[in-house]
Order: sequence, then structure tokens, then C-alpha cells
Amino acid sequence: MTEAARAAADAARTTAPHAVRLTGVAKDYGPVRAVNDVELTVHQGEFFSLLGPSGSGKTTLLRLIAGFERPTAGRIALAGRDVTALPPSRRDVHTVFQDYALFPHMTVEQNVAYALTVRGVRKAERLARAREGLATVRLDGYGPRRPAQLSGGQRQRVALARALIDSPGLLLLDEPLGALDLGLRHEMQAELKRIQRATGVTFLLVTHDQEEALTLSDRLAVLDGGRIEQTGPPLEVYDRPASAFVAGFVGTTNLLRDEAAVRVVGAPGTYSIRPERIRIAPPGSVPGPGERCLPGRIAEIAHAGAHTRFTVRLEAGDDRLTVLRQHTARLPEAARTGAAVNLVWDTGDAFAVPG
Amino acid sequence: MPTTDRARGRLAALLAPPLLWLVLAYLGSLAVLLLSAFWTTDPFTSDVVRSFTTDNFREILGTPVYRTVALRTLGIAVTVTLLDAALALPVAFFMARVATGRLRRALVVAVLTPLWAGYLVKAYAWRVMLGEHGIVNAALEPFGLRGPGYGVSAVVIVLAYLWLPYMILPVYAALERLPARQLEASADLGAGTLRTLGSVVAPAVRPALLAGSVFTFSLSLGDYLTVQIVGGRTQLLGNVIASQVTLDLPLAAALSAVPVALIVCYLAAVRRAGALDSL
Amino acid sequence: MRCANPWKAAVAAGVLLLTAACGSGGGAGEKAPAEQKTLGKGEGRVDIIAWAGYAEDGSNDPRTDWVHPFEKRTGCKVNTKIAGTSDEMVSLMKTGQYDTVSASGDATLRLIAAKDVAPVNTGLVPNYRDVFPGLKMRPFNSRNGQMYGIPHGRGANLLMYRTDKVSPAPDSWKAVFDGAATYSGKVTAYDSPIYIADAALYLMKTRPALGIKDPYALDSKQLAAAVSLLKKQRQHIGEYWSDYQKEVTAFKGGDSVIGTTWQVIANTAAAEKAPVKAVLPKEGATGWSDTWMVSAKAKHPNCAYKWLDWIVSPKVNAQVAEYFGEAPANARACRETTDPHHCAVFHAADERYYRRVHFWTTPVPQCLDGRKGVKCTDYAEWTRAWTEIKG
Repeated sequence: MTEAARAAADAARTTAPHAVRLTGVAKDYGPVRAVNDVELTVHQGEFFSLLGPSGSGKTTLLRLIAGFERPTAGRIALAGRDVTALPPSRRDVHTVFQDYALFPHMTVEQNVAYALTVRGVRKAERLARAREGLATVRLDGYGPRRPAQLSGGQRQRVALARALIDSPGLLLLDEPLGALDLGLRHEMQAELKRIQRATGVTFLLVTHDQEEALTLSDRLAVLDGGRIEQTGPPLEVYDRPASAFVAGFVGTTNLLRDEAAVRVVGAPGTYSIRPERIRIAPPGSVPGPGERCLPGRIAEIAHAGAHTRFTVRLEAGDDRLTVLRQHTARLPEAARTGAAVNLVWDTGDAFAVPG
Repeated sequence: MPTTDRARGRLAALLAPPLLWLVLAYLGSLAVLLLSAFWTTDPFTSDVVRSFTTDNFREILGTPVYRTVALRTLGIAVTVTLLDAALALPVAFFMARVATGRLRRALVVAVLTPLWAGYLVKAYAWRVMLGEHGIVNAALEPFGLRGPGYGVSAVVIVLAYLWLPYMILPVYAALERLPARQLEASADLGAGTLRTLGSVVAPAVRPALLAGSVFTFSLSLGDYLTVQIVGGRTQLLGNVIASQVTLDLPLAAALSAVPVALIVCYLAAVRRAGALDSL
Repeated sequence: MRCANPWKAAVAAGVLLLTAACGSGGGAGEKAPAEQKTLGKGEGRVDIIAWAGYAEDGSNDPRTDWVHPFEKRTGCKVNTKIAGTSDEMVSLMKTGQYDTVSASGDATLRLIAAKDVAPVNTGLVPNYRDVFPGLKMRPFNSRNGQMYGIPHGRGANLLMYRTDKVSPAPDSWKAVFDGAATYSGKVTAYDSPIYIADAALYLMKTRPALGIKDPYALDSKQLAAAVSLLKKQRQHIGEYWSDYQKEVTAFKGGDSVIGTTWQVIANTAAAEKAPVKAVLPKEGATGWSDTWMVSAKAKHPNCAYKWLDWIVSPKVNAQVAEYFGEAPANARACRETTDPHHCAVFHAADERYYRRVHFWTTPVPQCLDGRKGVKCTDYAEWTRAWTEIKG
């Protein structure tokens, strides 16, 4: 995408209607309410994630937007058009499925060109555009193969190319990286981001992997029990979780309630302190201005690759706090199990969360 | 290594008897059949005389009636196969993708049960139904219509009935295996129902249809009892062979080579289409 | 062509088996089977091939049972295999698994020539004494003055019709040949090459110019005439029959209304309340004279001889004759029939009557009517012709 095109797309984003707009959407399966009164807006050209644990209703929400399911209540609008009653084939949306759902009897090229074939595009043009699409996902020359001859990552790219072939207004991705191993997953994450930028298509990603959602998204929504708990840019959601659930689900945190809050934070309510915001200081150290300092003992040390996780038992009240330190960061000599330490943090890093 | 040798020996001992049986009983009888097609018989005693001759094949190729009967048999086998395919597709689709739970199990049982009933019992039941005062005529009478009576149509109907389960079952299995995601993917990419049926369902079902057709085609080609029961004055290859077996075994053997050749050709064609994998 | 490949394997396997297959003995060079000299103790079992109605054990009609009394008396357990045609009988006898067969004249000579049956020592069959002299030492049951079986009985192939559908009552085979169009689609005929003789018999009476003297001695021109008549008949055939139950149901259900039959079929159909009648048409008829023969490879020869004597014993022979609807072979049977006129009705002793009935005989190249210088058509040709007629 050229700079001019990007500028044009940015301009369009501000003037054009929202890519997705859900109003009061609910979905029941028998007595079970899978999606409950969801309001959601996704902007044009955005990379948006629906993040939640399994059973939170995120996949149902995606299937409602794609049209595979009909909502029990509420309206669904895509690019300003109400599509609530339309079948999937008449929505300007394509989906990348978790298991890719490639057509096994077609070649890679035929798979990629399927949406064009359905629309009756001439064969020469179809092939040219399929090749172009395969180039975008770096699979040049794979056209004549069958899906069965490809690796998982390659199939993933084919599925992407297939869904992007006719530049849909919206691309839905249902846990697209779930089946890949860790290394490949990171590689594909970068790839997804690159492709989204290159095409300018609005991406709506469903995932349970908070790291994935935080890394990729322009904005994200956290779901729990069929409801949206919080919507916002990754950093905002991470730093200012709107609920105890969000605080716990997005990243790890030390959640302090009631009396523990009084003991540790010094005020009643529910508070969250991110483990990486806490420093370990030698015993007897003096806190600076705006810092809080509590003595304790190291109960447990776990080395987890790039960082080390300490569990510290505070002297007052027997509360346990988790502290994360970069592996490279210099640690006090005395930081070993059983050692007496002081835990120090900026008072601003202990923030109140609702509920 | 001694252990692998012993394991291999055990495997060989385990496989040898069935393999030997397969070679002797299947290939052996086929070979003897083909071989005896080149013998001749004593015209009065009907005893086989083992002198090599190609007269039998020349007679088959040179006699118009054999060609007529062979073509009629082939036509019936093809019609039965097409009819079964046309019937099996919607039934199997309903079983695999519409019906659930108890209804689906009931349907599978309903399709399988007739296979336990005797072949002759079913054929004679159809003889009664298709007869002059049978249920078919009785049912059609109010509309001013009549059943087909005994003849080629009756043979096609009864054979199609007899072999239908062999077509439904593989098609049902294929449709059941077809992931729902693929149907959704097709719709998602803009395809309507018909398009999805043609581009996604049909290719998935095609090998199963071909596999089923191997049964319906070859079983129809070899049948000679149904035609005796409901065929009226019709005769098929099987009847001609049966009438020659006592009298001129070599000629009967040569005649048998016709359906064998047809089936081998059919299998080769089907194999090329990749359907034998789903047998 | 791709389908050539599988043949290679089959041909290779065939070559492999060639030696094995050629090793086993053929029929032509075998020694002639000899007749049995003495009668030993029964083997406890006898395997029989019979026409329907010849070995009744009460399962069709509880009052019709001469198998169980035989078993009780001799200790020979009877296993019966019903055959529908002479061809079927010949092929069953070739298996060597049966002891005795009720062969008609179109099977006897083939069985004798193929050495599938042994000569019969009539001295071991006391009831043979009372068999009508007209049935002894006939060309279809003996060879060179040696009996090959015990005569069972004889009868004619009749014309059966539904009395409610066919009128006026037919008295000629014309009803199923030149006049078949009247009942088009409802005419039936016997499904065997031997049925060609029925057409030949009709031509013998209606087209003397063809010069047919014996319906089983047809030169190729005469055969062609019969074939063309039968091809015309085929247009009007509803179905051919060889299974007697099939003919019973066809007449009962009205799928067939006229056609050739056996008396026993007419009796069975009538017993099942079908409005049918069977007549001997004015042209005469083809018919059968059956002979109980003993297999050359009989495993239970003593029981087989006991059966031969039993089935032609006056009482049983009378029962069979009445049930099947034929003339008994045993002259004393005529005193045992429930209908005292049975033997008169079926012309048991009337050799002149039976001159009108042409017993099934295997057609052979040497013309049976004594013609010289002409080659007659043999049964193989009749079989091919029959296939062609059915089309």
C-alpha cells in the first residue's frame, strides 16, 4: 500500500460507516445464553480482536457476524448495511477457519480463486489474481498443489489468501493460529499484521491468547460469559482493566480485595498491581516519594525463560505477591528462597478496579 | 536379528493360509474359467474336451443374439446404477446431514435390515407386488395407470431395490465425513446452496458414488435369478450362461468372460477416478 | 487400454494352473460302469433328483406322502432335490452327489453316453416284472438290450388356460402359436430348448410341406421354421416358466392365462382355487416317459435300488401317477388308484394313444425319424436356437 493509498484509507475510515456494528445482539442455544446483549463497533481498516476464555461467546459472536448463526435478538450491520437477515453468501465478509476448511479436492489455486469462480470471473483473470494472492502470502508456485501436500503453516496462508482474494470489507479469523506450534505462531502473527497493513482490510480476530491479542490488535474486546467486559486499545486494557476479570485474564496480576487491599495498598476496595511493576529491594531499604514499601520473604523462585517469577510472602497478614523480573535485570545478591526482602512499587501502579 | 525373523515368520504363517485360499479360490477359479473358455465339448454327452480352440469366442462375437443380450445386460446394469445413485443421494444426504440422533440410527437400521432378508424372498415379494393383481397395479389403478408388469422395467426396479443399500452406505459415510466447516466456507465465499452442492458436496461424494456403483454395476451384471422371477420373457447374460453350463461348459465360460471383462474395465476406469480408496 | 493390465495376472495364473487342470481325468476315456450284481444292506440314506411331485413327503399335501413310509420301511433317509428342467438334471447328475434321478427321454441318453449312470439290474427290482411291456427296452431307457433304469410313468404336456379369461375353450396349440395375439402378453411357454419340439409338432400338423415326421428330428430348414414360429410367439409371451411354482402363481394371479403345462401344475393351481383347466389338444402333444436311473458314482446304491422298487410298486406308483397326473408304469397300479378310471383316463395301457404323444428325446445329428443323407440338428443347436428365440 502506498502512502497516498494509506492516507486515502485513513480518510475513508473517518467518513465511512463502521466496518461492524452490533446492537443489543444476543444468542441463545436452548436455555443457554451464549451471547448476551453485545454492543460492539469495529472501525474500517482496524485490526480488532475478540479475546476471551473458551465458552466466553467469542466464537459465537464471530459466527453471528459471518452469518452462520442468526441472533436471537439485536441487529448486525456491516459497513452501514443491516445484514441481520442475510445468509453468509450475501455478506461482504470472509472467514479464516481454525481448521482452515480448505477444499481437499481442489488445487491451492482453485481454493484461492473459489470466491471469484463463484462470482463468474473469467478464468484468466481468476488465475492471475489467485497467483497474486498466493504471492501476498508468500506461496508463489504452490498453486498446482493440493492442500494435503502443504504444511500447517502453508495451509494457513492458503486460507488467508482465499479469504482475501476479492478484498472483502471484513475478514474474520477464528483462532487461526491455534493449531500451529509456538515458533510458527510468532512468525504467522507478524505475517498477519503485515498482510493486514498491506491490504487495508478490516481484521476481526477471535483468540483466547491474550499475548496474541495484545500484540496484533489496534483495539480489542475482552469477553466473559457472553458479555463484553471491556473494549479498548491493548495498552489501555492492560493497564486499566475495567474489571477484576479483565485484570486477571489480560496479563497476570496481583489482585487484592478488601482486608488484603487495606493491608497491602492501604485502602479498602479491589486493587490490581502488575507483577512487573514491583521491585525487589534489599531489606531495610527506604522508599522514595510516592513509593510503597513492604517487607516479606521469598517463598518461591521460578525461572521462566526470559523472566523470573518470584512469590513473596508479606510479613503483615501472610499475603502473597507475585513479582516478575527480566532475566537480564540485576537482582539483589540476597534474592534466593527464604531471604528477607522489601517489595517496592509506585503507589500509582496499584490501581482500583471495579468489582 | 532373530526376534524380527521370528516375528516375520509368525506373520507369514498367519497370512499364508488366507492368501493361499485367495489365490487358489479366487484367481484360480477365474483362471480355470478363462482357460476352459478355450476348450470344447462333446456335442452329445456335453463332456468337456480339452483341446484348444477359439471357436467359442468366435461364436460369441459372430452371433447377433449374444451381442443383443450383452448390450441389454449392460444397459440394465447402467440403468440400475444410475437409478440407485439418484435414489441414494437424497436419502444419504438426509441421513447424514439432516437427521440426528435416534432418527438417524433408525434410518441406518432401516437401510441395513433388508440385507439380512433372503435375496429370493425379496425377489418373489416383488413378483407378487408387480403381478396382475399385485399391489402396484392396485395402487396405480385409481390414476388410470398400470404397473410395468413383468419385463425389463421390473428387472430394473427389483435390482435397483436389491442393491440400493450398497449405494446408500458409502455415500452416507462420505457425507457424514464431510466437515460442516467446508460447507460454511463455501457459503462464506459467496456460494449459494446449488453451487456448494456442485463444487463441495459432489466432489466429496463422487468417490463414494463410484465405489457404490462398483457394487450395483457388477451385481446387476451377474444377476440371473431376478430376471427369471420378474423378467417375463427377458433373458440376460446370466441366463444364457446358465442355460449353457450343463450343455457346453466352455461356451458358458467364454460367455462369462464378457461380464468379467466389462467389470474389469469398469474397475480400471473407477480406479483411475480414485474411487477404490473409499471401498 | 488400461483394462489390459489386470488380464496379465489372470493369464499368468491360468498358465500356472494349466498343468493341474489337465491332470485330472476326463470323461471320454473312462471304463463303462457295470450293473450291480447283488443287493446289500441299505446305507441309511439316498439322494434323489426328481421332478416336482415325484417324491412327495407330505409337505405340500399331508395326504400325499410316500417318502416317509419308504424311510420307515427301509431305513433309508431320503434327500430330494427338485429339478425344473432336464438340463438341470443332467448338470446335477454330473456332480456325482446324487444316487438316482427321474430322467426324461431328453436326458437319459445324454446321461448314458456320458457314463454318468450305470446299467440297472432289473433282477434286483421285483416290481419291474409288472411294468407295461410297452415301456420296456425302449430306445430312451436301454442300450444294446440292457436296461439303464426302471420306467416310472408317462404323460403329455398339456395346454392349460384360465376358464374365466379364455373363451371359447381351446382345443388346438394354435391358441399359443398362430392365435397367440388374442392373449398377447399373457401367454406362457416352457423355458427349455426342448420346447422347440412343441412348435415342430404344431408345424408337423399345420404345414405338412415342411415334411416333419418327428418333432425331435429336425433338419436345419425345419428347425428354422420352428424358430421363426417361436420368435413370433415370443411377441405375445408374458413370461417363460421352468419353475412349476412360478407357473402356479402366474396362473393364479392372472399374469398368464394360456400356455403349456403339466397335469400336476394344473392340479396344484386348481387346488389353490385358480379357475384353470388343462386339455390335450387335437394335434397331440409332446410328453415324457420317465425312467429312474442310478448314478455311476452312487454312494448309496442299495438304498437307490430300494427306492426304484418302491416307486414302481403298485400302490406307490398309483399314488404318484394320480398326484402328478400321468399314466403309471406298473400295470398293477391301475387297481390301486383312488379314481378307478385313472388308467383309462391317462391311457395307461393304450399304446395307440401314446403314439400321439411325442416323448421328450434328445435331438442328435442322426435323424431319429430314419431319414438318411440328411443331418439333423442336435441339442446344442437347439440350445443356441432357444437363446436366439428369447433374444
